Amino acid sequence: MDPFAVIGAPRRFDLDLSALEKTHRELARALHPDKFAHASTSERRIALEKAATVNEAWRIVRDPIRRAEALFGIGGIAVGHTREPQASSAFLMDVLEQREALAQARKDRDMVKVRALGEHFEARAKAAEEKLTQGFALAFAGRESAPDRGALETVLPVLGELRFYRRFIDEVSAIIEEEEVS
Amino acid sequence: MAYSDKVIDHAENPRNVGTLDKEDPSVGTGLVGAPACGDVMRLQIKVSNDGVIEDAKFKTFGCGSAIASSSLATEWIKGKKVEEAEAIKNVDIVNELNLPPVKIHCSVLAEDAIKSAIADYRAKQLPSAAEPQIDE
Repeated sequence: MDPFAVIGAPRRFDLDLSALEKTHRELARALHPDKFAHASTSERRIALEKAATVNEAWRIVRDPIRRAEALFGIGGIAVGHTREPQASSAFLMDVLEQREALAQARKDRDMVKVRALGEHFEARAKAAEEKLTQGFALAFAGRESAPDRGALETVLPVLGELRFYRRFIDEVSAIIEEEEVS
Repeated sequence: MAYSDKVIDHAENPRNVGTLDKEDPSVGTGLVGAPACGDVMRLQIKVSNDGVIEDAKFKTFGCGSAIASSSLATEWIKGKKVEEAEAIKNVDIVNELNLPPVKIHCSVLAEDAIKSAIADYRAKQLPSAAEPQIDE
């Protein structure tokens, strides 16, 4: 499944998500079971399958990490465990130290520090997303169906960085939620 | 996901969590990460003069299986000779913890962390390592 084709989006990383959300809603409405109340069993089943595909495509396209993975997939670059380049030790050291700082801030219930660390990583995630935008634009420029492999491989490590940032940001959200509950 | 009892035990009561002095010449520090999921792991060993790992500590930020894999790894390597620790394979961890296929990469990470800590320790034993380093 090409999620970009299903949802009618161009093959690029920076997308107008609010416009696509509207497209998704229209597609989903047209495929709603109510519209097929008087249709045959097989037509109903096909509509249901299409609706599932449309929903899955939207989930992929709206999520920066899954969107990037899909674009790499279109370019024939395998992603996932053992397939992606290892992060540098300086990068890992930095992430680990910041995770320790976050764990300490959580222990101290220092929410100012927790939020500041979260903002720092939000900014880094944003910068990584900008790098992905540029990298994919370069790889797909003038060759939407067969993007440049070299350009894709150059930008592949950024996907890994983004996942480390995402994990950090998720942890910040969990700490903030935990604090609000208690 | 259904974790095995051993994974739950290690994840809830991880052994040997902590830090060793990474400037200590008898300490090797391994630092590994999984770009595909965002887990980071640090595993450190302190090696005695006769080549026995007398202490091991780890810190893992990741899922329960990653924590359990590194916790088990430190438990196993303590008291072993460096060469024996080096022979530990990720499948040993998979079998001991009953890890499902989607969590095998966690055991790979732990094996890499052991190897990376040993490599760091050995690099420190080289004569040039005693000289003051100018480059970062």
